[in-house]
Amino acid sequence: MHPLLITLLTIGGVLGGTLGACSYLIYIERKLAAFIQDRVGPNRVGPFGLLQPIADGLKFLLKEDVIPAHVDKFLFILSPAISVFTTLLAFSVVPFGAASKDGIFPWIIAPQVDLGIVFIFAVSSLAVYGVILGGWASNNKYSALGSLRASAQVISYEIPLGMSVLGIALLGGTLNLEEVIKVQATGLAGWNFWYQPLACLIFFIAALAESNRLPFDLSECEQELIGGYHTEYGALKFALFFLAEYTHVITISFLTVILYFGGWHFPWFATAASNYAGAEFVKFGVLLFKVLSVIILIMFIRWTIPRFRFDQLMGLAWKVLIPLATANVVLTMVVREFDLNRWWLTVGSFVLFLTAGFLAIDPLGRSRATKRRRPAAAVPVAGGHHAH
Amino acid sequence: MSVEWIKSHWTLLVPLLMGALALAWMMPRQGKPRPIAAGLMGLAAVGCAGFFLLKPGPEMVESALFFLFAGTAIVAAGLMITSHNPVYAALWFALVTLSVCGLFLLQSAPFLSAATIIVYAGAIIVTFVFVIMLARQSGAAFYDQSSEQPTWATFASFLLLGGMLVCLGDWRGQSGSDGGMGGGMLKVPAVWQDRELNPNPLSTLPDTEAGVKAAGTMRGLGRSLFGDYLFAVEIAGTLLMVATIGSVAIAPRRAQGGL
Repeated sequence: MHPLLITLLTIGGVLGGTLGACSYLIYIERKLAAFIQDRVGPNRVGPFGLLQPIADGLKFLLKEDVIPAHVDKFLFILSPAISVFTTLLAFSVVPFGAASKDGIFPWIIAPQVDLGIVFIFAVSSLAVYGVILGGWASNNKYSALGSLRASAQVISYEIPLGMSVLGIALLGGTLNLEEVIKVQATGLAGWNFWYQPLACLIFFIAALAESNRLPFDLSECEQELIGGYHTEYGALKFALFFLAEYTHVITISFLTVILYFGGWHFPWFATAASNYAGAEFVKFGVLLFKVLSVIILIMFIRWTIPRFRFDQLMGLAWKVLIPLATANVVLTMVVREFDLNRWWLTVGSFVLFLTAGFLAIDPLGRSRATKRRRPAAAVPVAGGHHAH
Repeated sequence: MSVEWIKSHWTLLVPLLMGALALAWMMPRQGKPRPIAAGLMGLAAVGCAGFFLLKPGPEMVESALFFLFAGTAIVAAGLMITSHNPVYAALWFALVTLSVCGLFLLQSAPFLSAATIIVYAGAIIVTFVFVIMLARQSGAAFYDQSSEQPTWATFASFLLLGGMLVCLGDWRGQSGSDGGMGGGMLKVPAVWQDRELNPNPLSTLPDTEAGVKAAGTMRGLGRSLFGDYLFAVEIAGTLLMVATIGSVAIAPRRAQGGL
């Protein structure tokens, strides 16, 4: 087949797959939330509520498309489009199977992009425009404040996100995502997670914050605030913001699996040497299974860890994650430079992690965060309980 | 300025004049705005410049992409300086940056392009937008409605642009690639044609086509940056470090509270 045709088919497949996956991930999330909160969850539309995503999609489509009179119309419409565009574009260099030139199907939209992960960072650094323009174009001071808060978060967490990946670049000598998987496909002990556990944790936390998921969803606060930068949005334009967030969750799950958990590799039946009939599909299945596990983990985290306060959020990025990521890069450089055994990286990561933990505790048993709490915070509540 | 000179350079002068006229019309100023006429004139100027001054290269897709990126960059730059709304101006600036990054990609410098997107479009322009949003919250101020000295500004900028293009054309003509102004600005950078001007004096990249290609990859770029140009990179890094520490020291501290 013509390569252009194959590329178009891949793009169509990825687009359809991502959108379908998004709608059913929302269903899974609602069911999981119901399970954790001892509820039933969506169960009205279709058997077990399985048609609920379709009903939700139709509702988004058919609702009245309100554009408030005082907004900057062009930017108001542009910003959800930017959000979706950047998250989908980032997916173009993510392999979703064992990418190879001679297979029937490439399993990646843009094969052999030497930049790989840098391309993803470049594209997703543009995602902040969707947030900032959405808030500004709404011409509403609460939206504008929400967008400032959200963009400060997104910009801050980009730094630990990028720095945590440097260790992998140093270990594997490549940033190309296909090559990163091939480097790890030497066996279970080849997965980057064993050598970069701290970086994996930092990457996962920063990626969660980038995609505005709980416990970092200050930009939205779905449960108790009305919203953030997208307060004025409704119908399909709001759905686009949500679609962007869910696509981002899928992308970061793919990246976590590809960078740290061996991608499509699994011992015995999905190795670099396995070439039985249908091996490509088995690898595809292995990758999807790992990705789904990460997504489920993200959903459980949502209902497990409470939200950070804004100063805690910024403190976590600038005072904890960035120094730890820097230390991790130095550690990896030392191990590479003096050609030490790679398992020293594991030991070093744990030492760094424990040191950071001990530094946060002072002898009186109070953590530094509570000791340095803002004095002004206690004043307004002192008079007693206000009626809500 | 002789008539001969004008005759030999009319392909350069016509688009320049048209562009200057379009830009002068589009500048925000008092009086009747002429957006449609100015826009058409501007597009015609860009089209003329592309038609007269550039030859499409042998690769059709590459030429098409070059014209797309270059045209977008020029048009967006024009809109950036003529926009009434500062937020829109910042966004047009972002579009200029993205188009220029596309040009970098065409010159097989993917890392430069990605780094420019991260630094300029992803950080610096976002800061601009922040400042604009916070500084001016309601309505456009009077000083955004009209520009200071639009005619002279246009004249000076196009004089500079014309001078630069004439020099570039003459230089291309002298180096004798293939004939004067039309000599393909799409070509491989002259650095690679000139063997004596080796950009990688220390690193071991072979001076062949494969070596040239390897220079564009991250590996080649890293080796060159941290091998050949180590001192320059370190000095630039030190400068940035000093600037960062200085800005932290200068920035006013809050009297109380975290954040």
